[in-house]
Amino acid sequence: MDELFTDLEKLAKVEKRVAMATLVGTRGTSPKREGAKMWVGEEGRILGSVTIGGCVDAHVIADAEKALALSQPRLLQVDLGDEDAWEMGLSCAGSLDVLIEPFDLSTTTLIDTYRSIRTAIEQGKTAAIVTPLKDSAHKLLVFEDGAISGTLGTADLNDEAQKIALELMRKRKSATLSVGEAPIELFFEVHGPPPSLIVFGAGHVSMPLVSLAHDLGLKTIVVDGRPRFATRERFPEVDELLIGIPSEIAQTLSYNSSTFVVLTAHDYKYDLPVLKVVLPAGAAYIGLLGSKRRGKAIKDFLKESGIDEALLDRLHVPTGLDIGADSAAEIALSILAEAVAIKSGRRGSSLRERE
Amino acid sequence: MATLYSAKLLDHFRHPRNYGALTAPDISYESFNPLCGDRIRIEVKLAGNEVKEVRFKGDGCAISIAAASLLTELLLASKTITLVTDDQLIAALESDIKPARIQCALLPLEALRAGFKAYDPTL
Repeated sequence: MDELFTDLEKLAKVEKRVAMATLVGTRGTSPKREGAKMWVGEEGRILGSVTIGGCVDAHVIADAEKALALSQPRLLQVDLGDEDAWEMGLSCAGSLDVLIEPFDLSTTTLIDTYRSIRTAIEQGKTAAIVTPLKDSAHKLLVFEDGAISGTLGTADLNDEAQKIALELMRKRKSATLSVGEAPIELFFEVHGPPPSLIVFGAGHVSMPLVSLAHDLGLKTIVVDGRPRFATRERFPEVDELLIGIPSEIAQTLSYNSSTFVVLTAHDYKYDLPVLKVVLPAGAAYIGLLGSKRRGKAIKDFLKESGIDEALLDRLHVPTGLDIGADSAAEIALSILAEAVAIKSGRRGSSLRERE
Repeated sequence: MATLYSAKLLDHFRHPRNYGALTAPDISYESFNPLCGDRIRIEVKLAGNEVKEVRFKGDGCAISIAAASLLTELLLASKTITLVTDDQLIAALESDIKPARIQCALLPLEALRAGFKAYDPTL
């Protein structure tokens, strides 16, 4: 999501007016999720994308130019025929809704809105912009603590939208929903901190784990008590190397619905005290390297220590998908594949088995 | 684990005494084993040469955590800053500590001694 903010700041320097195209609805197959953005500048600059390219982006660009010419927002619905889908490399057709809004960058509050969201994200918080699809001039900004800014027109609608926004922020999901007694379609654009991976243990599996996570765009943190293991040489791509008492460090870190935590030390001395901290902390995924037998022993011990059974169910042990991983790199791949699947609410099975 | 270690050692591992941190301790020192990763910090509040309060924090094996917990009790019982010996601490564990694990048992004592030394080099 960092891309959105940098794209907007770039455009603000060179364009007076832009059209912001936002993917607000998908049915069937879509290569991008709700919230994807494309910017079309009045001077012709194009940044971002609402699909992986091809005919849909061409439609969006054409409609963005119309929106700029008429100074009016447009809701574009693109039904992908089989031929179009084939062009895009899609295996089946789908349908996309794209909201296109023209903005004057020198006079509108668009940049201020996104800057305040960026500030919230930099503080590790989530925020959402709520936009009525048929009256996009009214926007409501909702922050994680429940604070709101702007209005959708009525206090009742603001209240209802705020509640839904907070729920979607918890799930980190952007979506269009019908709200109110006389239903109004509202798009909830959810923003939050970038996904991160916190690895407890600087052993050999952690090295490809961090490297792969870096390639996936995750912020990475490695924690260990051993300065000889937690080194830049072993983890050249890591964002933070933290050396000290792991469970104490665990208490200083923040965990949210985009945080993956993996314990790779394979040693109860780290696993037990760190799990006591991270299990209740609200991470998207918590994985523990080890066998089922070891996992059961660890869970039994934690249960005896008073950890709630519901929290223990959150622990994925053995960590990773069953892909026959053997090498450290393959184990890392299986762990991250499971973490991504869990965060996305998927089973991690083959796509061809998906209904 | 149950057959190797005494009930006392396991009890101190599962329910460590004086675990935590002190506000403005006179002594705070952390020792670690560079290979296995055990890390123990001992904090002490003094009144002159008398030990008033002791806390420890750390992630370590059963032996090192139990030893740290027992060390805090020995220290509070003796009230002085020099009296705990290696043998005393190992005996307090009431377990057959193999030579390869002596280092684990003495890690908290190493932290304490280094802390005392930093506080008063004449000790």
